[in-house]
Amino acid sequence: VVPGETALAFYKAKNPTDKPIIGISTYNVIPFEAGQYFNKIQCFCFEEQRLNPQEEVDMPVFFYIDPEFAEDPKMAKVDLITLSYTFFEAKEGHKLALPGYQ
Amino acid sequence: MSTAMNFGTKSFKPRPPDKGAFPLDHFGECSAFKESFMQCLRDSGYESSACRQRAMAYLEQLMANEPLEKLGFKDLIDEKSEAKPEKL
Repeated sequence: VVPGETALAFYKAKNPTDKPIIGISTYNVIPFEAGQYFNKIQCFCFEEQRLNPQEEVDMPVFFYIDPEFAEDPKMAKVDLITLSYTFFEAKEGHKLALPGYQ
Repeated sequence: MSTAMNFGTKSFKPRPPDKGAFPLDHFGECSAFKESFMQCLRDSGYESSACRQRAMAYLEQLMANEPLEKLGFKDLIDEKSEAKPEKL
């Protein structure tokens, strides 16, 4: 991935149960300091997503690394950035600390 | 996800995506496009730049199934053809 150039990545989610599940995901970036350079243009996160029983679905993320990443001396040794997602089951009345996004 | 209480260190603050959420491809209509893209990645040694055409084809197909999303999509096309992200 080249800083400044948009890139596409895929995750896959499966609902292994026999009931539909409504989930919300949030993400994490490692190393921590690289997170400020990670920009998502579009993804599946922060919105409730419904997966039917046994459903398996591709989850795309369209993103770019801020070109300033290449200028930051603290990032000079970083050649691997890991993006991970965690899916939470959306429960009534249970509010995740989501950023202001509706 | 880190759940350790690290007093004195900044916590990671997730940001929402610039253009919102993708419609999910629940019916697998775009799977062929995704496979084509993934094959390109494998063939190129996972070089993202080499596979931008196929990435765009996937995104076009995904958005074609969601007319409302097209409002945001034109910007994506412009971004991809310029090979530069929009400066915020």
